[in-house]
Amino acid sequence: MNFIVEIERSKKAKLEADDFDSYLRKIYEPDLTNLLKKCYQCARCSGVCQISKVQKFTPSRIIQMILEGFEDEIINSQVLWDCLMCNSCLQHCPKDINFADIVRIARYKMRVKDIQNPDRSIAHKGIYPLMSEMMSQDNMEIERPLDWIPKSCTTSDKGNILYYVGCLPFFNYEFEDSLSIAESTLKIICQLEKDPVVVLKDEICCGHDLYWGQAKFESFIELAKKNIKRFEETGATTIVTACAECYRTFKIDYPTLFEDFKKKFEVKHIIEYIFDKWKQGKVQFKNPNKSHEVIPFTYHDPCRLSRFLPKDNKIIEEVREIFNNLKIIGYNFKEMEHNKENSYCCGVNSWMNCNERSKALRYKRLLEAKAVGTKMITSCPKCRMHLNCLKKDYDNFSSIEILDFSEFLVDLIKIIEPNQTIEEN
Amino acid sequence: MSKSKKKLSKKDFHPNILCFCCNWCSYAGADLAGVSRFQYPPTIRIVRVMCSGRVDPAFILEAFKDGIDGVIVTGCHIGDCHYLKGNEFARDRFERFQEVLKIFNLDKRFRLEWVSASEGKRFAEVITEFTNKIKKLGPLFAT
Ligand code: SF4
Ligand code: SF4
Ligand code: FES
Repeated sequence: MNFIVEIERSKKAKLEADDFDSYLRKIYEPDLTNLLKKCYQCARCSGVCQISKVQKFTPSRIIQMILEGFEDEIINSQVLWDCLMCNSCLQHCPKDINFADIVRIARYKMRVKDIQNPDRSIAHKGIYPLMSEMMSQDNMEIERPLDWIPKSCTTSDKGNILYYVGCLPFFNYEFEDSLSIAESTLKIICQLEKDPVVVLKDEICCGHDLYWGQAKFESFIELAKKNIKRFEETGATTIVTACAECYRTFKIDYPTLFEDFKKKFEVKHIIEYIFDKWKQGKVQFKNPNKSHEVIPFTYHDPCRLSRFLPKDNKIIEEVREIFNNLKIIGYNFKEMEHNKENSYCCGVNSWMNCNERSKALRYKRLLEAKAVGTKMITSCPKCRMHLNCLKKDYDNFSSIEILDFSEFLVDLIKIIEPNQTIEEN
Repeated sequence: MSKSKKKLSKKDFHPNILCFCCNWCSYAGADLAGVSRFQYPPTIRIVRVMCSGRVDPAFILEAFKDGIDGVIVTGCHIGDCHYLKGNEFARDRFERFQEVLKIFNLDKRFRLEWVSASEGKRFAEVITEFTNKIKKLGPLFAT
């Protein structure tokens, strides 16, 4: 009797493993040479590579070595843990070689086949990826605090529109007021929507950091499955997020795993969301304080909204259109020296490589910001945190205020027909 | 493995507890408990660290991820740390970390205690008490 049970179980385990393989095949291509063979060694990538500005790192040389058959040497040398995954190289490559994506695949190889331990390059002792991994396990119950929700907002479990908060409550433990991003975002959405917005108490991580940082595809696939199941239960058709990384993951990486994700849900970044409402004439911008002082401000493009999206889908111009419009209310938008697709990286990606070299990159970025404005807006919570962290270490940056897009706009936005419930309050 | 776990009733559940001890006080305290033959349940696995300030919240999450039922961190009493402020850092850090543990519903399975080198008896008591508490909560990965 026991024997039969045992066989049944092993069959089931095998089936599950096959299932995993079929998903893995979609995001993992073991033959690197095949992906790189178009490269003709113009070495533009090495010229623009952001990390090469502060340390020895030459993507074109790495590619050449792999093509010459030294893939194992590259994998063994552990050098690929240093890539920032900023995608600047793809931006300039004439042959569209997606080096960051290849690094992601190589990292999986490094971790699984070569059993490398990337601990030395993981920031904060890897506590944030660990949390994501824990959320991918079946037996964890998640109970997020919801006390940040503004009082005037009604949220529910089911509804049309879902606000995906992301990891903000977890960051709150080390980075002060990261939840204020969530608060201001929800405040804006709430006033624009008639029905209550869905905010989940048991929301789990989107898996972005596991996917890019340590290439833990097993957990990423688990998270994707669980997330989609949970989204379906709410009956939502639109997912709004204020995080650039969640946006990219839902927009590009989930649909590669599950083809029908695109059909089921429409994913919007808060910038897109506000931009659409603005074009529909539902919002205006006004200045709450009546002073005539002109405030110069600038915008830092997160890589996930500029370089990591397909060419015709980038969220670059929308935000500038909104910002240029703010001139009439006393906010003067100025570009930094490196902007749009060429903007400098904040230096940390997926909690990898926060060291003196990446800090040098952040320092440069803040110098550029200081030259043009007193406020620096970004639309990625992590960029905001990383830049803020460096800002604290240097007194000469105390004049700059680093804000998230929704934190910046929440006071400047005027809703034409605010929601009934808000008016009563 | 999972099958045998299923059959376990709460009564004969044998918790696995990870215990971090600082080298100068708590580890000596645990040692004293041993040599003075104070009885405490054999549920803990001790990891000796130089100071309670060495223990990173990531260690604790990692342990929970791999299925440990409880974690306890012990160090010198406030003011007695051999590196002056290590335990104060630990205290502040874990206070903030409670927020995260609460989200995962693990806050009851974690504890921070101060045990000095002469408190062998107290060490045994703390461990017994914590073991009983974990026993009441049941295994972390209950099926
Ligand atoms: S820019 Fe593109 S084609 Fe040129 S060396 Fe780099 S990967 Fe090869
Ligand atoms: S992704 Fe960024 S850091 Fe990595 S090779 Fe390309 S430009 Fe350099
Ligand atoms: S040495 Fe014991 S807590 Fe620091």
